[in-house]
Amino acid sequence: MMANIKKKKWTNYAFWFLLPALLVYTGFVIVPTLSSVYLSFTSWDGISDDIRFIGLDNFIEIAKSPRVHNALKNTMIFAVALVVLENVVALALAVLVDQVRWFRNLFRSIFYFPVLMSGIIMGFIWMIILNYNFGVMNQLLDMTGLGSLKTDWLGDPDYALISIILSTVWKAAGYYMIIYLAGLQGIPQELNEAASIDGANRWQQFRHITFPLLAGATTVCVMLSMIGSLKIFDQIAVMTDGGPGFATETLTYIIYKVGFGELRQGFGTALAIVLFALTLIISLIQIKLLRKREVQM
Amino acid sequence: MKQEIKAGEIVVFAATLLLAVVFAFPIYFNIMSAFKSNPEIMRDAIAFPKELYVESFKYLLTETKYPEAMLNSAILTVSSIAVMVLVIPMAAYAIERTNARWTNGIFTYFLFGMMIPFQVYMIPLFKQLKLIGLFGTLTGPILIYIAGSVGFGVLLYTSFLKGVPREIEESAEIDGCTRTGIFWKIVFPLLGPVTASMVVLQGLGIWNDFLMPMMVLPTGQAKTMIVELFYYVGEFSSRWDMIFAGTTMSLVPVLIAFLSLQKYFVKGVSSGAIKG
Repeated sequence: MMANIKKKKWTNYAFWFLLPALLVYTGFVIVPTLSSVYLSFTSWDGISDDIRFIGLDNFIEIAKSPRVHNALKNTMIFAVALVVLENVVALALAVLVDQVRWFRNLFRSIFYFPVLMSGIIMGFIWMIILNYNFGVMNQLLDMTGLGSLKTDWLGDPDYALISIILSTVWKAAGYYMIIYLAGLQGIPQELNEAASIDGANRWQQFRHITFPLLAGATTVCVMLSMIGSLKIFDQIAVMTDGGPGFATETLTYIIYKVGFGELRQGFGTALAIVLFALTLIISLIQIKLLRKREVQM
Repeated sequence: MKQEIKAGEIVVFAATLLLAVVFAFPIYFNIMSAFKSNPEIMRDAIAFPKELYVESFKYLLTETKYPEAMLNSAILTVSSIAVMVLVIPMAAYAIERTNARWTNGIFTYFLFGMMIPFQVYMIPLFKQLKLIGLFGTLTGPILIYIAGSVGFGVLLYTSFLKGVPREIEESAEIDGCTRTGIFWKIVFPLLGPVTASMVVLQGLGIWNDFLMPMMVLPTGQAKTMIVELFYYVGEFSSRWDMIFAGTTMSLVPVLIAFLSLQKYFVKGVSSGAIKG
């Protein structure tokens, strides 16, 4: 009886404590997500009240449209290139910061600071650095006698995507560096010392001791950088607007262009559902991998 | 005992320094260009400014909507964070301490939101804002920010709450304290480190946000700093000096926050990462 009353009291307060978060989250995340699912089966333009149900037509168009295929291809290139480059650079930075004898904190801060910048600001700075006529990049190539390598980095469809990828690596690597650094600091010093006595050189120590012990950090970083690469938007908006042509249009970017530039919001939401499915699959794989790792530990 | 400097250490230092120059250069370039005139930037992008040129700052502050945009950015960041810190720890506390079937269900429901990218629900969101009359107000984006942070925030707070002992709360309850009193007077102050990490990470995200405020704030008026900067890149394509002045002004508060709260930035990254 006593316990029952007590339990009831707890439940009562819990309801009121949860209510504000529950309402705002349901109203501004879940309800619009469900509307997205519904709208993806319509030909809505985003303005009129005329919301016509057209079944799977949007998804059939996605399967057929060369522009969507191109955006998906760009998204995949982004994902693969960013996962590899961000992690390689981040790991290198973490090892250096961990090993360096002087100014360790200063170096760590310098590598981390770009993470704190907005994609718009970072995109603008790199746009000017990569400018054909007045940019630092081509000026440096001229100064070092490599003038023949001068390129219109963002205006040439062959280079625009790689330019955005490399500037994104500059922005994001510091984030993953922090995670690798935490992993490195958890590795007992004795292991490397013992290997060193046994005659292992630095590379062998890294290859056979440090790197395997960083497996956990690597899983986390690979997953986070993959999901992060799907969401890239700001730097594309400011640097190329998806161009030249459709050379840098990704899935998130085409949703915005189709939905708000071309007023085909039904089709835009169908693309959004594809994005949702992709994110969900990656997140579920991530959860599974992390669970498995916990068991092993 | 003085340690000897080994050759290997010098190689490591040189490599780190080289990379640090590459990483720091764009930021240095930004700040330096803010104090150069436009022809000076175009003539020699790498050169140091000849004299401290501040006309671009003056122009930005007197002739454009940038000051209003600064105010909007500040209002959005501060009010969203303030409400988050009221609402989210309370929800996390109810979930962690009740530990009943229905609260655990709500927990899973909240976590699900972490897997939904903003682009997935943005199109219907605008229609919805118009429908309830919040389109073009500052309240709209504030609610959207709070809603978007519930999943991550609740996760952060519940995992920390597991390590906070219940005994104090139980004795306070016997002394006749109300739940609300116990939470705000006893538990909340103990959650300081999580609150700091959340304020820092979410605050930065809101300050730097672009797409959502661009779309839901009224056209013809100042939006946020980042959105205005984006417009200036198109509008004033021959005034790089002015845009650099603007980006510098947006980066200064970030830099100050980073230097004074460094440990929370780092902590937030590692705790957020481990939970995914």
